[in-house]
Amino acid sequence: MERRQLLKQMAASSAFASAQAVFPGITFAAPKSNASLEGVAWKKAPCRFCGTGCGLLVGIKGSKAVAVKGDALSPVNKGLCCVKGYHAILALYGSDRLTKALVRKNGKLSPAPMAEALDLVANRMKETIAKYGKDAVAIYGSGQWTVPDGYAAAKFFKGGIGTNNVEANARLCMASAVTGFMSSFGLDEPMGCYEDIDHADVFVLWGNNMAEMHPVLFSRLLDQRMNRPGVKIIDLATRTTRTSLASDRLMLFHPQTDLALANAIAYEIIRNGWHNKTFLEKHVSFWTGKTNIGYGLEDKFAFEDKGEQVSFQRFQQLLEEYTPEKVEQISGVPVKDIRFLASLYGDPARKVTSFWCMGVNQHTRGTWMNNLIYNIHLLTGKISTPGNSPFSLTGQPSACGTVREVGTLTNRLPHGVVSNEADRKMAAGIWKVPVDRIPAMPTYHTVEMFRALDRGDIRFLWIQVTNPMVSMPKLRRYRDAANKEDRFIVVSDVYPTPTTDIADVVLPSAMWIEREGMFGNSERRTQHWEAMLPPPGEAMSDTWQLIEIARRMGHGQLFPWTKENHVEEIYKEYSKFHSGAKHEMGSYEDLKKHSGVIWPFVNGKETKWRYHAKYDPAAKGDSFDFYGFPDHKARVWFRPYEPAPEVPDKAYPFWLNTGRVVEHWHTGSMTRRIPVLDKAMPKAYVELHPDDAKALAIRDGDRVRLTSRRGSLVLAASIDKRGRPAKGMVFVPFFDEGILINELTLDSFCPISKEPDYKKCAVKVEKA
Amino acid sequence: MKLTLRRRLILIGCASALMLATISVIGESVRASWKEAKLSGEPSQEQPSIPVEGGVFRLIQKALAYKNAPETDAGRQLNGYYGRRAFPGAPPVIPHPTFDERSIGGKACMGCHAEGGFVPFLKAYAPVTPHPEMSNCKQCHASGHQEPGRTPSPFASSRFDPLPPPAIQGAALPGAPPPIPHSLDMRSNCLACHAGPGAPKQIRTSHPERVNCRQCHVQNVPGEPAAPFFQNRGSEPSWEP
Amino acid sequence: MAVKSYLVYPRTGLKIELITQLADLAGCEVTPAENRDVVILVTETSDQLEENRLEQRILSLPALESLNLVCGLEEHKE
Repeated sequence: MERRQLLKQMAASSAFASAQAVFPGITFAAPKSNASLEGVAWKKAPCRFCGTGCGLLVGIKGSKAVAVKGDALSPVNKGLCCVKGYHAILALYGSDRLTKALVRKNGKLSPAPMAEALDLVANRMKETIAKYGKDAVAIYGSGQWTVPDGYAAAKFFKGGIGTNNVEANARLCMASAVTGFMSSFGLDEPMGCYEDIDHADVFVLWGNNMAEMHPVLFSRLLDQRMNRPGVKIIDLATRTTRTSLASDRLMLFHPQTDLALANAIAYEIIRNGWHNKTFLEKHVSFWTGKTNIGYGLEDKFAFEDKGEQVSFQRFQQLLEEYTPEKVEQISGVPVKDIRFLASLYGDPARKVTSFWCMGVNQHTRGTWMNNLIYNIHLLTGKISTPGNSPFSLTGQPSACGTVREVGTLTNRLPHGVVSNEADRKMAAGIWKVPVDRIPAMPTYHTVEMFRALDRGDIRFLWIQVTNPMVSMPKLRRYRDAANKEDRFIVVSDVYPTPTTDIADVVLPSAMWIEREGMFGNSERRTQHWEAMLPPPGEAMSDTWQLIEIARRMGHGQLFPWTKENHVEEIYKEYSKFHSGAKHEMGSYEDLKKHSGVIWPFVNGKETKWRYHAKYDPAAKGDSFDFYGFPDHKARVWFRPYEPAPEVPDKAYPFWLNTGRVVEHWHTGSMTRRIPVLDKAMPKAYVELHPDDAKALAIRDGDRVRLTSRRGSLVLAASIDKRGRPAKGMVFVPFFDEGILINELTLDSFCPISKEPDYKKCAVKVEKA
Repeated sequence: MKLTLRRRLILIGCASALMLATISVIGESVRASWKEAKLSGEPSQEQPSIPVEGGVFRLIQKALAYKNAPETDAGRQLNGYYGRRAFPGAPPVIPHPTFDERSIGGKACMGCHAEGGFVPFLKAYAPVTPHPEMSNCKQCHASGHQEPGRTPSPFASSRFDPLPPPAIQGAALPGAPPPIPHSLDMRSNCLACHAGPGAPKQIRTSHPERVNCRQCHVQNVPGEPAAPFFQNRGSEPSWEP
Repeated sequence: MAVKSYLVYPRTGLKIELITQLADLAGCEVTPAENRDVVILVTETSDQLEENRLEQRILSLPALESLNLVCGLEEHKE
């Protein structure tokens, strides 16, 4: 090799010499590759995209981001990223980046100076409050809000204006996980961490395409299986995906029947005596809740669950309905496979980690489904110790860190809930506002917020860092709502989207590394990054936009800080809400120094496993302590199978399932402007099972018309390319704003969490 | 030997003991297999296969071996790789003598090409096939081996001008994962061509142990139409195949 | 195994196209001049057949004006 290099250098020098002779004064470009990385400073940041929260090192040269590599010091990804992470900086440089404020005049959005736009927003807000009351203004934010963004929004709206009209798009992705945690453990967020992957023997994936959606974590699973023979990966899914093909076993079940399957596994565990009797006696109580709880389809749908404690015998009795034989009938999973899966959970020698995400959460019984997976881990005592981990994966980079931990939801505060007087007093104390400023009643969850906009109960809506005009279910109703008279919509974003299309004012936002911030990922790790680049034009961070408006509305005293120090000050104030061994956050200095800090961070040590005294300083005694509830016990809830609200019938014979692909993030407004990703996946499509396609005479690439009771679309068929849906089901990814699949979906939701079900409604399929 | 009653009894006793032993051993093993069956068992549902997606995970049990093998310049080179193909994407000709003209290939070819390795009598590393599920090898792969002393072809040479092969190293940023510049039909198993000494040196990966290749490497096939993304309006997009 | 270097001249105004077309060919390393319309090309091939093929390909590139060999080196097998 070296000899060849030498020969090439010799040949090249001869050529250079010749050229000099023929063209005196000729110069040549410096050779490419490594030389171009000279003078690049590498700065750490968590990735802009999914809830895995990989640590990145962004290469900055001057005032440009030029390269990305994985942060080898991050325990999350250990130097590896996925295709979106590696190209994340390209998302900053789309040619139609919003750099100026836009104001709608005579039906058209035209540029305006930022100060003028901010004045307009503040004035309109004041007018709306004066005319219609405080609860006529609302803010809809995001799990991609940084921690300071969310804190500023919560403080301004709840502590300043005095309304609980604060919601975020994490309601559409993680709400069921939250209510699952709260009902099973009394406290939010996983008890384990990613290190469980290094210890588990069996990984069970419940309805999530982990190879595409949390690729770096999935690679850690594959790594474990390569290095430790005997490790098994089981994919429980309604559709064959890349994950299925990498797993050891795929078990396909009919949509919604995951409820029955989980119960069948619990039944088998008890029948075989695999449940951990001492653990159950000491650490678990059994409960039942309401049944027939509805689907949220009506406006002003209200539901409160009521729990009733029961005995273990009663719980066992209720499970009799869910024998594997009976469950095989409704789910399509053979008895043998149910028993096999139960035996993996029940085997005392095997550590089991369950992973789930949208398949379980975006579900009209999402809370129940979360409870049922916890049941399996609680029955076997496989929890809160390395490798034994029911792990709820987060979709967005800071759904945990911002929405759940800062509490940017209608019923939440940074610590606790609005309905709890002690929690309101704490917030009022830290925020230095009168206690009665903070309302005790929650107002609207996301779907209801958009319904309120439709009815006119909300007249002013500020949307930040999210794209509801692509992502709301039953999209037509909510788009028409936003377009109604006397509805003032302010949108803060980085690119023009279908949401900026319906805005009255568009505020250009600074993106990711253009301003300082923190995200919190699935494993309770808060990660900090510094401002690395100047934002383009007049783009301004979402936090500062909120502060500017708050100042114009007379609430400037809530944010007595400068542009330079406000992020640090906000974080310091926010941390006060979480002091104590159960949720202590790392200090600002710790965050700057390390590749993220897991909370609770107590006496310089991260609590990796919660609820067990061996690992958790907040736990009392010498083993498990589920301190989320007063009796220090976790709760096993009996939850029945209940069908989906709209199932395939003669008129609409197919299930419609929606989801994502590895190349694109959510509604694609960022990733479709990254050429590598746009080229790799330019358009949405509809996946069909080959047998269904054959019956309809549809071939790969043909035009297909999908129709539901709410809308209709034409798109290309994809057969056995990225995924294969089950027979009688079609799948459409939602990244394409030119193919608005959410015009067809149904706005049914889990009555407990209020999270919509994007995976199940009925469509008919025709060749177009 | 005279079979007295005593001897008969001893013989019968031994035979019975043997039989009992056999029965108990068999019984033990059956019981053990039942126990295994309860905990393992074959899948009862169809395990569908999507070759273009699942192919990347074939051979992952060899990934560690590739990783631990010493770096070498030996083995195939990219120029030779394209030299065996009439145009990029064409099935390569067979550059070595084959032994059974009537065979379709199948097991005879797979002996070396299923998992590669050094073939001493050819003094070369065998390339690994990215599509082992196809067994009728000679349907596509013709003999390219020239016997010495063969009479030259009576036909004039060809003027066919193939497309250039795709450029490698097409990363969008320094250090970014280069995209896959080729179609994945029948070439979805990355390790077959990008790892090990059977892989052309210029495209051998530095990290064969990262088996989830398509986590970082996405397809950007050159020449495929890519209108840059503009915002779309309206619910019925104009049709584009 | 041959290593060759050339001075390559593009058709008028087509320097960028020539660079792109050459860069697409396997076995070619391209170094463009900054202030003249000329490009230095270093090729490597593993045998005579391939060498001829590559030369033919380069000669048929639409943006090529002329190809001028400067230096040719042979790597002898051990």
